[in-house]
Amino acid sequence: MNKIKRIFTYVFLSIATFVSIFPFLWMCISMTNKSVDVTRGRLIPGSHLFENITNLFQNYNIITSIVNSLIVAVITTVLTLLIGSLAGYGFEIFRSKGKDVVFNILILSMMIPFAAIMIPLYRLFGRISATAPLFGIDTLAAVILPTVITAFFVFFFRQNTKMFARDLVEAGRMDGLGEIGIFFRIFVPSMKTTYAAAAIIAFMNSWNNYLWPLIVLQSPENHTIPLLISTLGAGYSPDYGVIMTAIVIATLPTALVFFLMQKHFVAGMMGSVKG
Amino acid sequence: MLKNVFKRFSWLLGLALLITMLAACSEDDQTQGSANDSGDEGTSEFEGSLLAWAWDQNFNVAALEIAQNYFDEELKMEIVDSSSADIVQRLNAGLSSGTMKGMPNIVLIEDGRAQTFLRSYPNAFYPIGEYFNTDDFASYKIAPTSYDGKQYGLPFDTGVTGLFYRKDILEEAGYSEEDLQNITWGEYVDIAIEVKEKTGTAMISLDPNDLGIIRMMLQSAGSWYTTPDDEINIENNDALKLALENYKKLMDSEAVYMVSDWSNYIGSFNNGDAATVPTGNWMAPSIEQAESQAGLWRVAPIPRLDIDGAKNAANLGGSSWYVLNIDGKEKAAEFLGQTFGSNKDFYQDLVTEIGAIGTFKAASEGEAYQIEDDFFGGQKLIYKFSQWMEDIPQIDSGINTNGIEGILEAEMQNYLKGESLEDVLNNTQEQAENQFK
Repeated sequence: MNKIKRIFTYVFLSIATFVSIFPFLWMCISMTNKSVDVTRGRLIPGSHLFENITNLFQNYNIITSIVNSLIVAVITTVLTLLIGSLAGYGFEIFRSKGKDVVFNILILSMMIPFAAIMIPLYRLFGRISATAPLFGIDTLAAVILPTVITAFFVFFFRQNTKMFARDLVEAGRMDGLGEIGIFFRIFVPSMKTTYAAAAIIAFMNSWNNYLWPLIVLQSPENHTIPLLISTLGAGYSPDYGVIMTAIVIATLPTALVFFLMQKHFVAGMMGSVKG
Repeated sequence: MLKNVFKRFSWLLGLALLITMLAACSEDDQTQGSANDSGDEGTSEFEGSLLAWAWDQNFNVAALEIAQNYFDEELKMEIVDSSSADIVQRLNAGLSSGTMKGMPNIVLIEDGRAQTFLRSYPNAFYPIGEYFNTDDFASYKIAPTSYDGKQYGLPFDTGVTGLFYRKDILEEAGYSEEDLQNITWGEYVDIAIEVKEKTGTAMISLDPNDLGIIRMMLQSAGSWYTTPDDEINIENNDALKLALENYKKLMDSEAVYMVSDWSNYIGSFNNGDAATVPTGNWMAPSIEQAESQAGLWRVAPIPRLDIDGAKNAANLGGSSWYVLNIDGKEKAAEFLGQTFGSNKDFYQDLVTEIGAIGTFKAASEGEAYQIEDDFFGGQKLIYKFSQWMEDIPQIDSGINTNGIEGILEAEMQNYLKGESLEDVLNNTQEQAENQFK
């Protein structure tokens, strides 16, 4: 009886795995095929990989786009984690009369869809352009700045700080550490898991961010990967082989970050047990 | 106690703060004025270099590059290649915020979307009617590119349609090339059923979410979902009734190969799953990519609706150039006028180098238009299209086409399931009036 149950479990899991992996598999196969074979739905790897790659790298600024995306994603992730965790930590650890009010306002801001603040934000950066062109429209800074302070991450870190042993803060104070020291020397190392999870989310969000970069980045030399892919598909007869190649290349960094962080996940777990 | 009260009201406070912030923003909008006072807000100082936005590296962008060879002044131009949808987003953000920094001098806009821009931001575009003669262009292009008596767009490529068909499959079903010349959509459906019966191949591949075929039927009869005065024209629209009847008859037959998206659609005829492709001329390169089918394809005039005055000509897609009302506008308009606006030789280059068919009428007299296309059995594809182009009935598609079509798509499903045509049209009319009036 148990055996039959097991067989069913494995069959079901195999089917589920296949269904979730298939699009990725098809993408990888398609990058080796000609456009016409992709539209025909060919499932066998072809011999067109080299042509697709050369075509992509010769005709489009893919390297620039990857570098731009990396700059944006890395800086955004670092700043988001820093600001979000500092704020979340502060909200939870320190006592202040108005902190719940401020926190509620912050949470409320999560309810506003980005589309609603897009135009005012664009106006704002138009103004910034006039005084500080380095942070204005058509700069990578304009993509990074509005996304580093998000209510979500403050909320996320505040929730997780609840699991952090307050006694450690007291112990740190007793041993003469300053508040900043406590944060960086005690809080950060013992919350690695939280940071790893947040980093994955922040990196993916930034890497896949489309609408705001689309509007604020106009020059091709500032375009990020999603913008480039959107351009690739815009032709009257799009080359699906090339598009698939670009998408596979664009997927690699997020996959890489995920696997790297997965390791840290485990390390972070062990660290918190020790702490 | 006090703390509790404070806590309870904190949400309210937050809301109040937000509302004040939003209000501050909108007030700001009013005082700042619209997009046309670009001078003091943006920094798009004209230094002799023009900025252009267009899509498709091998087509529109390439056309702009070739055009520079035909302009008699030395010109610096930067061309940004973005998808049409991306261009629309950027333009909307820029024009609605009044922040003209980074906005292009020249921008390509699809004809179907142009009116939305021209009506929403009337001062943002620069009228360029003086820089070329509108009579030189196919007349159907003028309505979508002009507004309030002024010409804003310089008509570029045509979306003139044709009936691409597989000669071999149709012959197998007993139809010669002559049988497909200047037919009606009713005849097309009859042929479709016959072809499916005799050869087993579907006549056409259709995506239920794309009503392009209805648009072609309507335009052949000079009709549209709206009247030129922007009234919703569904309920008592005889052309639409006939179009929907044809569509249902086709869908009810076995002759349709269903597809779900664009690549699927292209794949269907590349794979030989559909015997005909009634669509815009821009589909030719996608058909030609199936090299094994070389010589098997032909093109005939698009079918027409069985209504008096209907023509075997319709348009699907196509776009035009616009000049933004910012520094450099005169230069941009001169450039467009001298090249796209009047140069016949330039159009020959466009055809030979990128296969783009413009809407400049005199261009079809040139040699490049006489080229015979081996893939299509030696037919003079370009010349044929340019001739049909001049017959396209002029319609004003207004600004609500996409919205109305969205309603119609949903109602269409009810019609296909058996609801009466009258009810479907009445419902569509009612919903459209509620939404767009």
